Amino acid sequence: MITDPRLALDLAGVKMQNPLIAASGCYGFGFDYIQWVDPREWGAIALKGITLEPRAGNPPPRLAETPSGLLNAIGLQNPGIAFFLKEIRPLLRELGCPAIANIAGESVDHYRELAAILDGLGEVSAVEVNISCPNVRCGGISFGRDPATVEKLVGAVRQVYRGPLIVKLSLEAGDIGAVARAAESAGADVLSLINTLKGMVIDIHSRRPFLGNITGGLSGPAIRPVAVRAVWEAAEAVSIPLIGMGGIASAEDALQFILAGASAVAVGTANFVNPHIAREINLGLQRYLDDKGLRHYSELVGAARRETDGR
Amino acid sequence: MNRRAEIAHRCLLLANKEIARGWHLFELEAPLLAHAGPGQFVHLRTGSSTDPLLRRPVSIHYADPAAGRIRLLIRISGSGTALAARRKAGEELDLLGPFGRGFPFLDETAPALLVAGGIGMAPLFFAAVQRQRAGLPFEFFMGGQSDALLPPDEYFLAHGIAPLIVTEDGSRGGRGLVTALLEERLAGAVKPLRVHACGPAPMLARVAELARSAGVPVHLSLESRMACGVGACLGCVVHVNVDGKVEYRRVCRDGPIFDGEAVCFDN
Repeated sequence: MITDPRLALDLAGVKMQNPLIAASGCYGFGFDYIQWVDPREWGAIALKGITLEPRAGNPPPRLAETPSGLLNAIGLQNPGIAFFLKEIRPLLRELGCPAIANIAGESVDHYRELAAILDGLGEVSAVEVNISCPNVRCGGISFGRDPATVEKLVGAVRQVYRGPLIVKLSLEAGDIGAVARAAESAGADVLSLINTLKGMVIDIHSRRPFLGNITGGLSGPAIRPVAVRAVWEAAEAVSIPLIGMGGIASAEDALQFILAGASAVAVGTANFVNPHIAREINLGLQRYLDDKGLRHYSELVGAARRETDGR
Repeated sequence: MNRRAEIAHRCLLLANKEIARGWHLFELEAPLLAHAGPGQFVHLRTGSSTDPLLRRPVSIHYADPAAGRIRLLIRISGSGTALAARRKAGEELDLLGPFGRGFPFLDETAPALLVAGGIGMAPLFFAAVQRQRAGLPFEFFMGGQSDALLPPDEYFLAHGIAPLIVTEDGSRGGRGLVTALLEERLAGAVKPLRVHACGPAPMLARVAELARSAGVPVHLSLESRMACGVGACLGCVVHVNVDGKVEYRRVCRDGPIFDGEAVCFDN
């Protein structure tokens, strides 16, 4: 665990010891690594996406490795909100770092209902609204493409959830700026981006799509430059803080997102390779601050924009 | 505050020897992994770049806590394992683990039938050595495609083990499938008995069927593509019968050893 005031932040009310977030879907409900890794290596943990009803998820195979990437089609397998409230919620304080609940639904009403249930729960520091999952037919990305839909959905959630509200965006929206502005004007406190990019792999021997779900979401270093660009464009469009993610595997990678305008960064796939990735990135950020003689990493947030006048 | 176990291990590779065509035996200095049991696995980083990106689960082939060493048996089956096979003695390997639940009941006195298909012998060899040392009865059945794709007899004899081997082309032992050996053995067998198996899915499906009809408990070691290895990503799931309902279970965390009665071989 690293406690360095130069890395601490208050992200729209979420008090974090460092700017590293375990990306939703990559860290379960926070306990899968706990026998080995102190959760406080993270500034916060974004929990596995929850839906109203339990979801079995997609048929296997759910994973395909691609060049410097991972294609997944888990399909939001989760035990549902009732199980979460009864079995998971009471344990969350044991993590020792803020827990961010991630919600997904098949209609605006689903999202509103989930957010209303989570409102006021002390164990949940923030809600992240997933409108960008590429692996579920009814929910997810279908809500994240159109700015008007985003505004309606985020507005509905905002009405019932008073805590820090994060909206997770996809690049499937052609105009990331328009979607980001829609979420901001509907009351989002923070935007997180990017979710995985929809892709597919075909098995040339069986002559069939490799994944059970046919398509999946691409993550890992392969998508990093695209994600940095998305953060850059979103930072131009809105003034609320951003959580940048997409292929971050080192402090250098994290710094690119921060310089593009991210106030915090999330790590997903790289954690599977290195379970101490948060600690290592934080140490790397400390070294960078030492080298550059900076008092706080926030001096770097969006700095690349200022250097180029936002061009 | 170091009450947590170490997850990441940098281990000296003491030897890398090809013991059958495309099968590499790694001997590693790994004191913190050497307490692992048969059926557990380590998550191996095969190279140092981001391609291949993911680790590869490799079952522990042998562990010697007194010497602080483990052995892995890696069969080249793709780019990751090919990269791993090129690692040389003196290099450091990056491992996570030990992960997974191992074979249960290895210390019970009823005879254990260990049924291996190809590289599936890796964890069962470990189980056989343990039973041998403990003076507990076991029989080791092993099937392979051909003689060249199996370790030589001396490899087993060095550990006092003599598996009954069959090959698909008859180049070693009888010609046929290892499941036929099991079928023969189970016919009218004196119980109690227990079956432990590891190998390709069609073989495991047949083993489960044979054990079920013989009324013999069976545990299977399953394989799946994995990302995290600890249960966080839900990428490696298989269908398992839980209290009459078919549910997904994680091979990495809930397994890799499953009750053969419960596994659904539908996917």
